[in-house]
Amino acid sequence: MSLEFPTITSTPIPALAGIGLRSHHFREILAENPSVAWMETHPENYFGDGGAPLHILEQIRSRYPLSFHGVGLSLGSTDPIEHAHLHKLKALIDRFEPAFVSEHLSWSSVGGRFLNDLLPLPYTPESLDHLCSRIAAVQEVLRRPLLIENITRYLTWRDSPIPEGEFMAEVARKTGCGILLDINNVYVNAINFHLDPLEFLKVIPAHAVWEIHLAGFDRFGRRLIDTHGQAVHLEVWNLYEWAINHLGPRPTLIEWDTNLPALHVLVEQAAHADAILEGCHVTAS
Amino acid sequence: MSRLREIQQAFSECVMEGKPHRLATEIAPAESALRSVAFYRRAIRFNYTQVLKITYPVLFQVVGPRYFDTLARGYLKTYPSTSGDLFPYGCLLPAFLGDLQVAPWLVQLARLEWACHEAYQAADSPPLLPEHLQAIASVGPARVTVHLHAAARLLRFPFPVHRVWLALQPDASADEAVNLPLPEEETGVVVTRGEGKIQVLPLNQSDYLVLEAMSHGVDLATVEQMVAEVQPGFDFSGFVAEVLKQSLITGFSIKDFL
Repeated sequence: MSLEFPTITSTPIPALAGIGLRSHHFREILAENPSVAWMETHPENYFGDGGAPLHILEQIRSRYPLSFHGVGLSLGSTDPIEHAHLHKLKALIDRFEPAFVSEHLSWSSVGGRFLNDLLPLPYTPESLDHLCSRIAAVQEVLRRPLLIENITRYLTWRDSPIPEGEFMAEVARKTGCGILLDINNVYVNAINFHLDPLEFLKVIPAHAVWEIHLAGFDRFGRRLIDTHGQAVHLEVWNLYEWAINHLGPRPTLIEWDTNLPALHVLVEQAAHADAILEGCHVTAS
Repeated sequence: MSRLREIQQAFSECVMEGKPHRLATEIAPAESALRSVAFYRRAIRFNYTQVLKITYPVLFQVVGPRYFDTLARGYLKTYPSTSGDLFPYGCLLPAFLGDLQVAPWLVQLARLEWACHEAYQAADSPPLLPEHLQAIASVGPARVTVHLHAAARLLRFPFPVHRVWLALQPDASADEAVNLPLPEEETGVVVTRGEGKIQVLPLNQSDYLVLEAMSHGVDLATVEQMVAEVQPGFDFSGFVAEVLKQSLITGFSIKDFL
């Protein structure tokens, strides 16, 4: 099922920290050229035919390596792939040549109705086959491998016999896609469902992890919610450090989507990730 | 039907239609099913409300958060999203408000905000260059039709809703304050985009007539004649010069006579 892809001509992303690009910071980024290695954005925000968002993205692309992090493909859905969406994504990729294009191990639509959220799949052999065939189809249209991100979930399907880490590893093996490892999501799921986060990380093949995400969570009662509305928590930094020493340095993104702080706060978080990346001591496993 | 599809349909019905029993046997432990569904239901509703709030910021300010939340919930139930791209979500809010029989000027305000939303990401058009204008001048106006900017939206309202829109912009001045409810007053506006920023320009009857005729591909000689019948002495060349300055005209075609 995995494909051979042509060489991607985009500016490569170094194994350093980048920040999520949000319109709230456009003006400041263009004025200050913050010292971060790369930027990532949601391509759906640039699906329009013209206007300011595309002009600004062009300017930012000329200064930084770029990555696209999609939220709308609904890869795990049993509905047909939304071809208009996929072709808009393709056109944007052709125009901006991002180094990575990522999506989520999730679904968000059924029966033509979208919920526009990242919803968990049951980890079954059926889901695995279905998801792999969808990823392969998308990769064929885009002529490049995707990165697939692990999500947070707030329920456990009764019939979900494959552990999440093994499911992801198998998706990567069967389709040739990369893994976007979200350390905050690993931590949030581990706390909410009393799991060992290291068990998850140990089964993820290091060679398949091409990018890492870090973000902040919020606590609501006994549950942690992946809000992307805070600084990265100490426990997540610790898990990240473990992961980096286990996997080796990887491009790492600071994600912050709600309750957005001043740009310098994101840059400081990225600098902290850079310090961990620079101090990395990879262990043989 | 595949097992995966069954689960996805059950989940969608639970969250969107409030039928949590459909998932009771699918989620472990069963006693957490209601809580899980309620969590996703809240998160999904919140996301869509945020999208509408971003698309209709003036309407949000006018009706307040509580009523806006109610509208957003009703809209989601009536017009669920049909795309992974959220840009078109909300396009039917004016129709939804019309069906609800809210104050008619609110429906018109929503129409204006949707036009602004569309204009923001409409295609770019390079401005007309002096040599283009010389080419127009060298042929008779009866052979020339003009193209308006792809972002231009011509709208006519039975109320001056653009005054509310202008008064509630972040950079509005105090003298743009407006009293509600709005009086009934036929109003035309053109929504346009200048240097990335959305502008709403009020038009008198003649201005509107000219732009509307231009947008329908009527040649310049006929447009001039049409407006002269409505307003004798209308400064047609002055108006064209003004809309060129606003970059509202971005192209033209020259017709061949048979």
